Amino acid sequence: MKEITRYGLTLAVICLLASTVLALVNGFTAPQIKLQKEKEEQAALKEVMPQAAAFKAKTQDGKVLYYKAYDHADKLAGFIVKCEGKGYSSAIESLAGLDLKLNITDVKILAQNETPGLGTRITGREFLAQFKGKSPAGLGGVDAITGSTISSRAVIDSIKKRTSELEGQLSQEIENAG
Amino acid sequence: MKLIREFTKGITIDNPTFGLVLGLCPTLAVSTSVVNAVGMGLAATFVLLGSNTIISSLRRFIPERIRLPAFIVIIATFVTISEMILKAYFPALDKALGIFVPLIVVNCIILARAEAFASKNPVLPSVFDALGMGAGFTLALTSIAFIRELLGSGSIAGLITLKRFEPVTMFILAPGALLTLGLLIGLTNLLRIRKGKLALKKGGCCK
Repeated sequence: MKEITRYGLTLAVICLLASTVLALVNGFTAPQIKLQKEKEEQAALKEVMPQAAAFKAKTQDGKVLYYKAYDHADKLAGFIVKCEGKGYSSAIESLAGLDLKLNITDVKILAQNETPGLGTRITGREFLAQFKGKSPAGLGGVDAITGSTISSRAVIDSIKKRTSELEGQLSQEIENAG
Repeated sequence: MKLIREFTKGITIDNPTFGLVLGLCPTLAVSTSVVNAVGMGLAATFVLLGSNTIISSLRRFIPERIRLPAFIVIIATFVTISEMILKAYFPALDKALGIFVPLIVVNCIILARAEAFASKNPVLPSVFDALGMGAGFTLALTSIAFIRELLGSGSIAGLITLKRFEPVTMFILAPGALLTLGLLIGLTNLLRIRKGKLALKKGGCCK
């Protein structure tokens, strides 16, 4: 019995020290991590719609539904939607910029964990440049990458699906702004 | 003099990857590019240095029978610290290493050094042991990554991309990792046998 108390107390002391150290480190890294996340998000938004000056998130139930992009005169310039689809070995997250005619301005892959050397090529410009100027319904014209058909289809289908889900809401926004 | 030996043994005779053959999961997974390998090596070295130092200084305080949970808590603390620092200041590297940073906790090199060395030796030799093991791990990882990246992506350390070279995709995938690792272990064993430091054992490994 005495032994158990001693072991328990020793472990408790070690855990207490460990959690104190972690709390301290978290104290100064947490704001920095948040900042990095925001910076990354803004940079990604800017990338799919370089002509926009500011972005505002439209949220529903605390989750981002889509982003509204504004030009330098503070006029609505388009939308950015986040799409998610199941690829070959991971969930592929992408951002698609849409102009006021709901044509795609550009696409960026945010997160993926596909096969290195094959599926990961969906992040390359060669593939993504094909989306530019197309309407989400007309994405049939996008060529899938040889050897990475599943990953390519996942990106195309997720964009198609997400934009058609939001289409009504986005058209409403354009009408309100126009 | 002895301290220097504690350092160099991690790079040569007791090299964690080629000599002790420990911590192979991260080795196989992260050695796709030199940048990832160096990042992983440095993160593991940081954890090793932290855990060896603390465990060695607490070696009289931690009772024998609960040493493993105590070691794991200490190691996990350092892993979490390195993960937070990577996320805050090196987000690109954090993305590339992904799940393998939290998995340093279960990297057997770290627990093995805690158990076999730090818990039995004073702080200073433990620090040198950690630095040597970390350097050995980083070097091994980098050499595997250099070969895989060269053959599999046709680039040298992410700086120079070879033109007119069709990359052999297999070297980026798992089989390439096993092949490269196996050949390098064979090569280092050959060098050791030549130097007379390793006797060629016959009849399998479990004797």
